[in-house]
Amino acid sequence: MNTFLKIAWRNILRNRARSFITIAAVAVGLCALIFLKAFIDGADHQMVSNYTDLFVGHLQIHKTGFQKNMGLDKSINNEESLSSVLRKTPSVEAFSPRVKEFALISSSEGSSGILLLGVDPEREKNVTTLHQKIREGENLLPQDKDQILIGRQLAENLGVTVGDKVVIMSQAFDGSIAAAAYDVKGLIDAGAEEIDKNLAIITLSAAQDLFVMERRISEIAVRLHQLDNVDSAGRELSRAFGRNFEVLNWKDISPMTYQWLQFDQVFTGLILFIVLLVVAGGILNTILMGVLERTKEFGIMLALGTKPAQISLMVGLESFFLGLAGALLGAASGTSLILLFNKIGIDLSAISDALNSFYIGSVIYPIFSPLSVGLYAVIILLLSIAISVFPAIKASRLSPIEAIRS
Amino acid sequence: MSLICSVKNLTRIYHQKDSDVAVNALDGVSMEITDGDFAAIAGPSGSGKTTLLNILGGLDTPTAGEVIIDKTDLTKLSAPDLAEFRLRKIGFVFQAYNLIGTLSAYENAEYVALLQGVPQDRRLYEAKQLFKDLGMEPYLRRRPSQLSAGQQQRVAVARAIMARPKIILADEPTANLDSKTGSDLIELMHAMNKHLGITFVFATHDRMVMEKAGRLIQLHDGKLAGDSLGAPLKT
Repeated sequence: MNTFLKIAWRNILRNRARSFITIAAVAVGLCALIFLKAFIDGADHQMVSNYTDLFVGHLQIHKTGFQKNMGLDKSINNEESLSSVLRKTPSVEAFSPRVKEFALISSSEGSSGILLLGVDPEREKNVTTLHQKIREGENLLPQDKDQILIGRQLAENLGVTVGDKVVIMSQAFDGSIAAAAYDVKGLIDAGAEEIDKNLAIITLSAAQDLFVMERRISEIAVRLHQLDNVDSAGRELSRAFGRNFEVLNWKDISPMTYQWLQFDQVFTGLILFIVLLVVAGGILNTILMGVLERTKEFGIMLALGTKPAQISLMVGLESFFLGLAGALLGAASGTSLILLFNKIGIDLSAISDALNSFYIGSVIYPIFSPLSVGLYAVIILLLSIAISVFPAIKASRLSPIEAIRS
Repeated sequence: MSLICSVKNLTRIYHQKDSDVAVNALDGVSMEITDGDFAAIAGPSGSGKTTLLNILGGLDTPTAGEVIIDKTDLTKLSAPDLAEFRLRKIGFVFQAYNLIGTLSAYENAEYVALLQGVPQDRRLYEAKQLFKDLGMEPYLRRRPSQLSAGQQQRVAVARAIMARPKIILADEPTANLDSKTGSDLIELMHAMNKHLGITFVFATHDRMVMEKAGRLIQLHDGKLAGDSLGAPLKT
């Protein structure tokens, strides 16, 4: 074995051009694979992160059945006891109580059905980024009683702007008509139609007054330290709150977004598989060419007493060394590229409208995952070895005389 | 002296691709070679010299007949066993040198010894000694492309001798060399034959090689036409 390690290593060093081409083929292929994966992971992560950060939160806690059939009758009257549990849960970073109800918004020019949200502006800032999406006007203050934020598209439909008055109508908790007038304090431009066209926000206390809810709330939006922990944290809180409450993560709240993400991952897997096939073809081509151009050399080796299996072993070892060098180089260059673009981002402003509709920002930051890099490096290395089997067998089956004559 | 090689009724028929035409390269050749011989197999082109040499070296298999080299019947060996046999018992010197282009002269010479598992210090010592004897000491690290034809053939001889084989088979070793270089090379091989006791069998139509050979075996149209050991079978 040592002899053939030495011979294989020597062959690699002596055939520098051929070795370089093979190593480059492996390295470029792996680099492309891991960068593509990091880019797609970055876009997916941004999509989930933006979606949850914008409005939904990582988790939402409601009275059981609220998600399926939203209404004030399923409001929470013991917020403080839920809050004390949340404060003691290590995975919870922040939470914000909300009132949520459908309502009708009217102006002098028209009316529209909306989702009305009552929030504590200071606490909501710790859970979502809605306050960062106010493009005109200002955010609410906790003491605001007759101020409202509305989506920019909604404002256009109603023909109102900052400073104008709108009227909200709905049904209160006690069954009476809830109606109040508010001054538009700010316009929200989140880039997502469901928010810009359908959302209005007042303060939590104003909402509780409007709906005659006293200190009741509709839900608590929760932000975790790690978005990836939504499943385990959700289970933990669900156990703590019991059957009267539902603890939903963003996947439960928006199954379509989750399914889209799953479809995206399957599609990504397919693309990566195709890239892998192309890379494999390139590696096979360079290794096979290397074997074919060495037919005479293998013939001489066979004539001198090298056994067919030893020729196979030698080709296999050479492929292993070349694959290893290519995998290391590809992993290093791919990681460098990912880290570079993770800092500076990839600017796709030209298609920002399309990206925003999927909650993806105009600048995508690829995500470095050591696991992905390691996994693809190992796959490429194994692939290099596996696809050398055919050229190796071909080389070992040569007739020494015919090979020397070639 | 003991027998190193014995062939009986050796026949080799080649079938041309895409046709039913059969070429009888060897036709019932029987002969023996004694340990320590410096023998030449001579004959015109197409007489079967190279075919005979390839069969003796286990590079080709006969259609019929028996080939015994150093008490081993080559026709009964599998491909890996034949390779092992070539590694331990046979040295080759080819007409076109057939050195491995990516290896240095030293690495070419030590290749077989490396496969045989000879330790590196011994390989290096023996190669240096051999290169000195062949007048090739300054060229140890050169690649084949940096050597003249004569120098390349000397490296091929060094490679064959490094393996310490029972028999060295040389196919037209002087064909690509000028007469002076060819003559020097044959002298060298003759000296190796005398001093190391290695059996040499040449396939040649070089008159100079035939004259130097201690024994001349003649082939004609795949048949044994004469052997200087006994009376000519055919002229």
